[in-house]
This record gives sequence, structure tokens and C-alpha cells, in this order.
Amino acid sequence: MHGQSSIIVESKDVEFYYSGEEETVWPALSGISFTVNQGEYVALVGPNGSGKTTLLKLFNALLIPSRGEVLVKGISTANEDTLPEVRRTCGMIFQNPDNQLVATTVEEDIAFGLENLALPSREIQNRVLETARLLGLEKLLKQPPHLLSGGEKQRVAIAGVLAMEPKCILMDEPTAMLDPAGCREVLKTVRKLNRERGLAVIHVTHFPEEAAGADRIVVLNEGQLIADGAPGEVLTNLPLLHSLGLRGTAAVELAALLRADGCPLPPQILHNRELVDSLCSLEQNS
Amino acid sequence: MFIGTEQLTHTYMPGTPFATEALHNISFGFRRGEFALIIGPSGSGKSTLIQHLNGLLRPTSGRVLFEGKSVGSDKHELLRLRRRIGLVFQMPEEQFFSETVFDEIAFAPRNQGLQEEEVEKRVMEALEKTGLQASELKNRHPFQLSAGQKRLVAIAAVLSLKPEVLILDEPTAALDTTCRKNLFNLLTGLNQKEGLTVVISTHHLDEAAALANRVLVLQQGKLVMSGLAADVFGKREELYELGLALPPVTEIMHGLADKGLPVKTAVYTLQEARREIRALKRRYKS
Repeated sequence: MHGQSSIIVESKDVEFYYSGEEETVWPALSGISFTVNQGEYVALVGPNGSGKTTLLKLFNALLIPSRGEVLVKGISTANEDTLPEVRRTCGMIFQNPDNQLVATTVEEDIAFGLENLALPSREIQNRVLETARLLGLEKLLKQPPHLLSGGEKQRVAIAGVLAMEPKCILMDEPTAMLDPAGCREVLKTVRKLNRERGLAVIHVTHFPEEAAGADRIVVLNEGQLIADGAPGEVLTNLPLLHSLGLRGTAAVELAALLRADGCPLPPQILHNRELVDSLCSLEQNS
Repeated sequence: MFIGTEQLTHTYMPGTPFATEALHNISFGFRRGEFALIIGPSGSGKSTLIQHLNGLLRPTSGRVLFEGKSVGSDKHELLRLRRRIGLVFQMPEEQFFSETVFDEIAFAPRNQGLQEEEVEKRVMEALEKTGLQASELKNRHPFQLSAGQKRLVAIAAVLSLKPEVLILDEPTAALDTTCRKNLFNLLTGLNQKEGLTVVISTHHLDEAAALANRVLVLQQGKLVMSGLAADVFGKREELYELGLALPPVTEIMHGLADKGLPVKTAVYTLQEARREIRALKRRYKS
């Protein structure tokens, strides 16, 4: 099984400028150092334009650092010869599935990456079916992707990446196009893969309720890493979040307002259930 | 009724193996000045319905009504209709094609054959309404803007036609908290101060729930609920079954009510929730 200590992705003092912008503007990212271990589920949060997507792209070598280094399972992303390995290790799921669906049927789309690995066709078939089942796409296998709904398309995109059996998936606001049931389903699936197979997940999100489900939250602002900690620590730091135009979960925000009204709530409230339980026990004791 | 449909049915690719009935027998009406939501899971037909409302798609059977009149197929009539009913697509910034923000917004009024002087006036007014700094932004390339600014430019491009109805397909998709807040402030202002009828399709009810007067719920192309916001949002279990979710703060209130606390559950903002819980304290103390 997976050891918690094995590093999947490492970013060493990374600085990144979009080409042509050097010296004229701020770097898109600077001084970024952190590691993600196998089996870790990291939420990456920050305002629009803070560098979240840029950082994700650095992790699967779609971009190469201007300074510093990104290592994927110890391999530098700057080395062209090992790009396929880097990209097989870190699979990317984009915000808009239209940007990554290529084939004329769902089945072929899921198989696309596998075919490029030159796997035997039986193996490809098995993996396609297994992944389709995992994401509830069995009935759509013969459908053309462009006629599916946004949520269905995103699940096809995820299936295409998961079929490659990556060690880490990089998700750029994967639920932006999904309905709540689609979100629940996709996030549950990803969490399951994370727990059962030790898949590392780096998940960019604008939704504090989604970030609250991660093991760890990393906060970016103006290209810099400004916080890194457990959800209970980062999402309850409202002064920090508000100064960036972010917010905590509804439970954190409401608890803060109620505390300001003199309600003696405990400090560690993060999820709805915790707030409801605390309020109920306060009522019973009053 | 100001705008609506009567027994509207739409089939994509009729007469082919891919024929899909996207909408079935939909009848509804919105009044002038309403803030309406069309909600439903991915693939339920929201975007298809929306594209009928300004004549972009034609019903397979049934009709679309505007000001009591059936929307016909006359080309000139449809052009006039589309000036009065503005449609903002999902991720509209992906369709930007102009070199400057000014030209992007000026496209529709120019196309309408307005004098350049009037065009400029329209662009400036539209920018001002969206709260964007015209002097700073009008000569910039649209792709240089932040995600939130791009979305506002896309909306300004439609506002430049001075529509009476503004229809937006998933307007907050992929925007962060601050941008979503700005966008809803804009829509509230257009609705309340300028009297625009606003129709939004969404599956994120977080901010929208508090603003809506009227709500349609679609599932698999059928209209499964329709009515005043308070009535529709009162049916929490049914919405959950449909794959939808009430705002987290509403869920907290339901959690409290389920535990027997006498709180109102039709609460969609943090401040409302705070007042409701404060009132609860007072009742208990007296």
C-alpha cells in the first residue's frame, strides 16, 4: 500500500512569468515551495487570478517554472524526455470539459489516452468499462460527448484521466459546470479513489464547502502561498479569508456572527452539523 | 404573462438515431420585472429552454410567447426580438473575438446600424452599469482582463442593446466569491432600479435563492415544479431528490428545525439566519 511519506509532487521555490511579461509585471507565481504526498487530498484556494490554475499547470508540465523546479515523483518537469511519465503520474482535469473531450463517442474518449499507451485492446476495454462504471457512464458509452450535459461531459473527462491510473489528479474547479448531485457524485468518487487507492488529489475550488472536505488547504494570493494547513485551521481564519475576498463555510460565517451577538459557541465549528449540534445543546442548557 | 412558453417541446436532431427530446410540453409565464430562476440538474434542459426565449432555437412543437404574442420565424421580427431580450451564454467570455473591450461591447449596437456617436454612448453606459472603469478598460484586450471583469464585459455587450429582458445561462460558473457577489449586485440593481426582467439558469442556489421571485424546476426536459420562490424552496426533500441543493445556510436552518427548534427555514442569507437565531434566544429567555 501507499506510505504517507512518499512525495508525489514537489515545488521548490518556483517562480513563473507568462512569456513576454518578465520585468514588466508581477510574476504569476513566486516563492512557491511545498510538497504533496501520496494519498493526500489538498484543496487549493484563492481569489480569481491568484495563480491557482498556473500552479496546477506547472504540476503536469503544461508550464515549466521560470525559476526553481517542480518535481513529479522526483522527476523534473523541465526534462522533455520524461514528459510522458510526468503527465501519466499527474492527470489534469480542466474546468471546462469541452476543452478535453476529443473522440466521437464516450467510449472512444475514455480509451483515447490508453490507446496512446499502446496497451492490448482487451486491457483497454476492461479499463474503459471499469472507469465508466465508477463514474456512472455505462449507459452513455455509445453517445457522442458533445450531446451530453455539462455534468456528464465532466464525468467523461474525469474517466479519461482516471483510466490512465495516475498517482495524482489535478482538478481545476471540476464542479464549476456540475449540478449539486453531479458535484456530490464526482467528489465522492474522487474521495473514494483517494482513500482506497492512495490517489493524491489537488483540487482548485471556489467553494469553501468543497475545500472543507480536503485533508489540507493551501491558499494562494497574488502568486504567493500565504497559508497551508488543515481545513479547521485555514477556513476558520475569517480575517485572512475576508481580506482576500474569500469566505469560510456557511457554518463558520454564521458561527462568527452569532459569537459577535454573544452566543458562546465553541471555536472549532466548520461543518453545518457541528453548528446545528452546538446550537441545540446551547438551547437545551439554557 | 410577459414572457413564457405554451406546450413547448424541443427535439434535437429529429429523425436521426441521435434524436433526443430535450424539452417536453413546457408551459410557464414570467411577469414583467420579475427575477426568475430556472433550476434543474445538468442535462435537464435549462440551456435549451433559455435559447428558445429569444428565438435562438425554434420549438419542435408548441410556442414561445412574448407580450402575449407568439414568437414567429420572421427573420426581421426575430432580430427585433433579440434586441429586447438579451441572452448571455454560459462562459460567454470564451466567445470574445474583438481586439478591445470597447469593440467587443460595440459589436451589437454597430451591427444594429447605429451611428458611431450613439454606439459610443451605449458602450459607455453599459460599462458604467456593470461598474467597470471605462477609462481604464475600454482599450484593453478582453483577454487581459480578470475572470470577473471578462464576465461583466460579456454582460455589458448584451446591455448595450438596452434589452428589457436579460437572460443569463449559468452566469456565476467558475467565478470566485467576490466576483459572484459583484455580479449579483449588478443583477439586483438592473432588476430593481431599471426594471429589467431577469431570468437566470443555475444550479448553484447560494446567492440566487435570496433574490428570486419565481422559480421553474426542470428535470429530464419536463417542468416538475413551478411557482413562487418561497413555495418551491420549501420543498427541500423534493429538490434534493432532483439532485439540487438549497444554500448551505438554509440547510443549517433546516437542521435546527429538524431538531425541534422553532426557527423559520425559508432563510437564504447569513444575516437572516442570524436574526432568526437571535429571535430564538429571546423567546427562550423570556
